[in-house]
Amino acid sequence: MDLGSLCIVISSHLYHVSLLASFPIWGMQVLIASEFVSFVLALILVFFFLKAYRLVRSLFLVGLPVGFLFLAFSYVFLGISLICESDPSMSQSFLWLRLTTQSYGYVFIGFTYYFSTKNEEATRSFLVAVSLASFLSILLPFGILLMMPPFMKVPSVYVVDDFFRMMNLILLGYVVYHLVKHLKTSGEPISGLVWAPSAFSVLWVGQYSLLLWGIDGSQTALAFAHVARIVALLLLLRIYYASGRRV
Amino acid sequence: MKMEKRTKFQIYFDVLTLLSREMKSGDLHVPTRVAHEANLPYDRFQRCLDHLCELGMLSNDPGKLVVTGKGLEYVREYEKINDFLRHMGLVL
Repeated sequence: MDLGSLCIVISSHLYHVSLLASFPIWGMQVLIASEFVSFVLALILVFFFLKAYRLVRSLFLVGLPVGFLFLAFSYVFLGISLICESDPSMSQSFLWLRLTTQSYGYVFIGFTYYFSTKNEEATRSFLVAVSLASFLSILLPFGILLMMPPFMKVPSVYVVDDFFRMMNLILLGYVVYHLVKHLKTSGEPISGLVWAPSAFSVLWVGQYSLLLWGIDGSQTALAFAHVARIVALLLLLRIYYASGRRV
Repeated sequence: MKMEKRTKFQIYFDVLTLLSREMKSGDLHVPTRVAHEANLPYDRFQRCLDHLCELGMLSNDPGKLVVTGKGLEYVREYEKINDFLRHMGLVL
């Protein structure tokens, strides 16, 4: 790495650390509470999607409970990293876990929609490959920490988190595209089908706000991202509770 | 038209739905007709009925198939989940 790139990496890390450090204590407490709320909501969704899988047993449906379980863990990891902010190495490790679990969550959700129109065999191969990749990449941050000589440091998570967010935006964008296409071709009343694309659009907006927060440090963008995520999860829960009444 | 392969559970749902519909309308269950409507070969339909009886979703009184409360509950849950997945944009 040349000196210029190193300066960019270090300044990016310091910039993000200062963003969190400038946050008031009550603000941090609200952020931690919102992670807990998101975790509970995501776990409820995991339960419903697992129920759907157990009843229907279509292989592609496995992606939804697994995806939302990854998301639930990512909220916990972010909460823990905020709690142990005073220990930078511990906080960084949890942020790494947060980034990988969140992105794998969106990968599973995105591919559930992709494979909903594909055959069972293709879905099986995909699930095996992604499960293995996610297992390895989640173990990696802690593995590196344990095996790395003490004089070396893990690269700052803040240097790469924008790339992860962009990947999340692409995956969520695909889900929204798939749902809008489904909305047009299903021939059913739009009123019932509009909730899922709305929920995933709000999740997309939340990720975009986080990207903006990373660029300009706006606390409004950070707060909006958290609110958007909770609203999106509530919208998904609403779909479950409203279903069946229309049958 | 190409027919999508159904899972075992989708077949159970189809069979239970057909039988419960016939129960409601008071029609006598004619197994060959139900098998035909469920789009199943007769031997597979018989195996399906045996399994549903084992699960307690059907009771096979002599000459009369009755969908039990557990079977009706399964149909209701399946319809709800189907509706949920359809509104999630996932067509089964």
